This record gives sequence, C-alpha cells and structure tokens, in this order.
Amino acid sequence: MAVANLTRRRSALFDHPLPWLLPLIAILALLAIFPLFYSIWLSFYEWSTFNRQLEFVGWRNWATLFDDDRLSASLIVTFSYFAIALSFELVLGMGLALLLDADHRGFGFLRGALTLTLVIPPAVAGMMFLLMEDAEFGVITYVLQTIGLIDRGTPILATPSLALAGVLLVEIWQWTPFMVLIFMAGLRSLPTEPFEAALIDGASWWMTFRRITLPMMGKVIAIAVLIRGIDLFRVFDYVFVMTSGGPGTRTFSLSLYAWQQTFSFVKWGYGATLSLVTLAIVLVIANLFIWLTKVRW
Amino acid sequence: MATVEYRNIVKNFGAVEVLRGLSFQIEPETFTVLLGPSGCGKTTLLRLTAGLEIMTSGDVLIAGERVNDVHPRDRDIAMVFQNYALYPAMKVFDNIAFSLQVRKLSPDEIRRRVGEAAATLNITDYLDRYPKELSGGQRQRVAMGRAMVRDATVFLFDEPLSNLDAKLRAHMRVEIRQLHDRLGSTSIYVTHDQIEAMTMADEIVLMHDGEIEQIGTPDEVYDRPANRFVADFIGTPSMNFLSGEVVADNGSPAFRAENVQVSLPDSVPATSGRKITCGLRPADLSLSETGSINGKLILAEKTGADIHLHVAVGDRNIVAVVPRSANVAAGQTVRLAIDPAKVHLFDAVTQHRVN
Repeated sequence: MAVANLTRRRSALFDHPLPWLLPLIAILALLAIFPLFYSIWLSFYEWSTFNRQLEFVGWRNWATLFDDDRLSASLIVTFSYFAIALSFELVLGMGLALLLDADHRGFGFLRGALTLTLVIPPAVAGMMFLLMEDAEFGVITYVLQTIGLIDRGTPILATPSLALAGVLLVEIWQWTPFMVLIFMAGLRSLPTEPFEAALIDGASWWMTFRRITLPMMGKVIAIAVLIRGIDLFRVFDYVFVMTSGGPGTRTFSLSLYAWQQTFSFVKWGYGATLSLVTLAIVLVIANLFIWLTKVRW
Repeated sequence: MATVEYRNIVKNFGAVEVLRGLSFQIEPETFTVLLGPSGCGKTTLLRLTAGLEIMTSGDVLIAGERVNDVHPRDRDIAMVFQNYALYPAMKVFDNIAFSLQVRKLSPDEIRRRVGEAAATLNITDYLDRYPKELSGGQRQRVAMGRAMVRDATVFLFDEPLSNLDAKLRAHMRVEIRQLHDRLGSTSIYVTHDQIEAMTMADEIVLMHDGEIEQIGTPDEVYDRPANRFVADFIGTPSMNFLSGEVVADNGSPAFRAENVQVSLPDSVPATSGRKITCGLRPADLSLSETGSINGKLILAEKTGADIHLHVAVGDRNIVAVVPRSANVAAGQTVRLAIDPAKVHLFDAVTQHRVN
C-alpha cells in the first residue's frame, strides 16, 4: 500500500509540467523579466550625484526623449546601419549560397571555411578591422588607395563620410556567412521536382530563381532577416571598439548611446529609458515583419 | 508523331548497374507502359528520356533524332511527375501557363491554351487558386494540364497516380487514356501497378533488375508470359506455380506433381522426366468432380464478385477464383480442373516458357 501510494504521489509530481519548466522559468525571471521590470522602474528615477541616491523624477526621462538631438542622431545611424548591412548580407548571402549549393570539388571545404568568421568574437573582429583600416599600414586602406577609391593617407574610421562604411565592412564580412548557412540549409531542403519541371518547361536560370527558388525560400529568408535584423539593431561591439561612436556622432548607435548614458555619465534612469526605447522599436518592427511575412513560429 | 528509340542504354549509379543495355523502340501514337517492381530502373529510363539523367552509354532517339546532348526543353517532351512538381508559389493558371510564358507567347494565346486545357480537365474553377489549396486529384489534373498545353510530341508520366486513392485512381486511368487518344501523342507511362498497365497500355515493357523481361500487348503478357517472372508479376491473384515433371500419359503429354496430374496439349513434347514449373492462373481453375488436382480447402475468401479458394495440394497452397455461387466450406476436399490450353509451362532451370 505504502509503495503504491508513493508511486502514485511521485508519478503525479512528475506528470505535472511545472517541475520541468522551473529551471527555464528561473533563468527567464532572473535574466529577462526582472531586468525588464527593473528598467521600467528605473526609467522613472535618476541617480543624483549630489545626494548619492536614486531620486524619483516621474516622466521626466521619457519627456527628454522628445527633445534629444543625440537620440535622433543615433536613431539615424542605427537605422542606416541596419538597412545597409541587412541589404548587403541578404544579397551577398543568397549569391554565395546559390554558388556553394553546387557540389563541385572543394566546395565542401569552402562551406566549412565560411563558418570560421562566426566563431571570432565581434570585438576581436572589430580590432582586426581597426588595424586593417589604419591610415598608415592598414591593408584595406592600401587596397582602396591602390584602386583609387580613397586618397592617400585617408583615415577611413576618422573620416565622417567613410566611418560608417568602415564599420559596416566588418559587420558584413563577419555575418554574411551566417546568411549563407541559413540560405544553404533552405536551398537544400527544397524539393527537386519543381526545378526539374522548370528545366523541361525551358525556364532560364534567372526565371527559375525569381519565380520558383525565391518564393519557395520566402519563409527561410524571412527568418534570416528577423534574426539578423534584431541583432543589427543592437549594434554595439564594433562601434565601441573601432570608433567609439565618432567622428562626431557619425557611428553613434542607439545601444552605444544607452551604454554611454548609463556607465559614462551615470544617468541610470535615462540609460534605462533608452534601452526600453530600443526594445520597443525592435518589438514593433519584428512583430510587424512577422505579421506581414506570415512567419509561423 | 514521334517514335522513341532506345539503343543499348546503360546507366550506372556509382557501382550499381541500374540499366543493363536496353534496346527497344516505341511506335508513334502508342501508349507504352514501363512496368516493373520498385528498383527495376523504369523511372530512371523515363528520366533519361526526359534528359533529367545522363546515361552511362547508349543512345536515345526521339523522332529519329539522337537527343543524348539535347537540353530537356528542346526534346519536345512533356512530363507529369509522381509528386506533381507544381510550382508552389504560382497560382494554377501560372502553373499551367509557365512553359508558354517562358516561350513568350502572346497573353491571348496563353489564355486560350490554358482555358482549353482547364476546360478539358475540369479545373476552370481552380485557376485562381494556389496548389496547396487543391486536393490530390485536382493537383494531378493541374500537372496534366501543364503537360497538355505544351503540345509536345512525347508525353512522359512518372507514376502519376500513385498518390491518389483507389477510386480516384481508377477514374484518372480512364481520363489519361482518353486524353492520350484525343491528343494522338506518343505516351510513355511508368508504373509498378499491373492493373494500370493492363488497363491503359497499348504495349507493356516489363522490366526487372535493369533488363527487359518481355515486351507485348497486355493480352500477350497475360496469356503468354515469356518467363516465370512475368507470369508471377502479371495477374491478381498471382499465378500458382507447381514443380514437377512432364510424363507421357497413354501417349499424350501430362504434367505430374504430388497430388496433381494435368493434361497438356499434344503440342508439348512429352520428354519424360523433364523438370518443369507449371503455372496455373487462379481464374483459369474451376471446381469439377473430375478435376485432376486434389486438395483440402483451407480458406474461402469472399471478395463480393467471386470467391478465392486457398487449397492445400500436397505441401503447397494454390489459389483458385470461382463464382460466388460455388457451394464450398473450409475443411472439405475439393477437385480443381483446368483447360490444358491454359496451362503455362516453364523450364525449371532457365525459367523460360516452354509451351
């Protein structure tokens, strides 16, 4: 009897989903839910250096948003960075994926080699490109000078018109392979018959790509855009390492601005408000995108 | 209309020999069925014809012209795939119209041709839908429509009905055959379903292990199977096989095995002692008091139209199909008879037909 009772009690306990979900709930609560609510709370306070304590400021931090030139400048930088990087990564990623999808000799090695950029920490990649874009001895600077795109001795990352492009270079170099991987997985999972039918129907390569491959890849592309897009909007490491947001505010991203307010200027309340703005923008754009492209999770 | 000719076709996938030197010709306007079990190479042969596979050696000729190096689009063929192979992102209209759009026909001409095909196939109401919104049978029709508008001289069908339910399959069999008769094209149809082959074909090419076992009309392969494999493959229920020998019974030839003695036509040489496999079609057997095949009835399966009798003869079971009016019960002893002209004899060693 006692054994039967115990078994029943134990099975009741183990049948319930809660024990299994607890670790996940704990992690989420600790790393996502608590910081979120803490940030919301914090956005109504500000650290007073004079009194050395947090003081309630009501809606002041939120009101400041509408009258903050640096915020609008950082939004422009972030949106430009997002749009340019995403376009390049999409087009280059698809092109390379189509190229590497063929089973030619040596392509297996190339596919493997492509993933190498993804294992380098972004800060390290940023440092590498910082050196390569150096005005004196940078190899990229040298190549661009040789083909006549920039003048001799131009410091790419310190030139207002070139700085963002200089940062985008490492972004695109490091993350295009991610797109290639996702697109290649997508291409390989497509059924072969429609392509054979198109072959018999006499469609050209471009027509096959435009009317058969691309629509069939729609969902895969949408997922890639979503993952990459969210990441791009939070760009921090590259600009922090390479330009610190300069020259002026030419590469000053929203995340960098929030970081600067929080940790350099010790304006914890306004820093939290800026982070919440980033979150809100990402949430709205991502959900709008999910709704428009009908991506199902 | 076009002939399709195969000359010594060999196809290897790595070390696996899929087609082992096939040579035959398909006559214009015939409906030819490539029939055989899974893995016999029939689909590979069809894909070679379409240009979707490259053969290891040999030649394919369409309308007398060697097409080994001709692009699939230039072979003047249309193909219906097993999984329909519709373009998922295009509506039915565009699916059917795609090949015409590729050829840059005028929009009016495209609309006319698609409209005609859709009307023939009864899919006019679905032209504005996507393939995923259609049932299996409707998708099959769209695939057929796509092939039809091409005005090709050779139609290739790769097991087009295998994903449909039994009733729809029977219906589509008739439609495909009628379509073929109306278009007057040369059709090559791959299937592993012998009923499809028997009902639709002008000519059946029966394949096994990358080789041709027999080419003939449905009647020929049914009535005079060239070897034991063909005899076994064609016909439902399958042919009964008994091992025994030919003996001379009062001067006329007879087949003898345990509990069985079957008279044979006089044309069979009564070479006494020759080892023979005797094939008896279940439908050719009948219950008879004077029958020379004795056995015990172990099961009587009623199929509705008739009864399948499973009879233990010696250490073997044989099946006979008798009318539903037959009064039989499991456990009783039965005697079966057969018309000597309907007995199939195969050499026990070579498996080739003897009579």
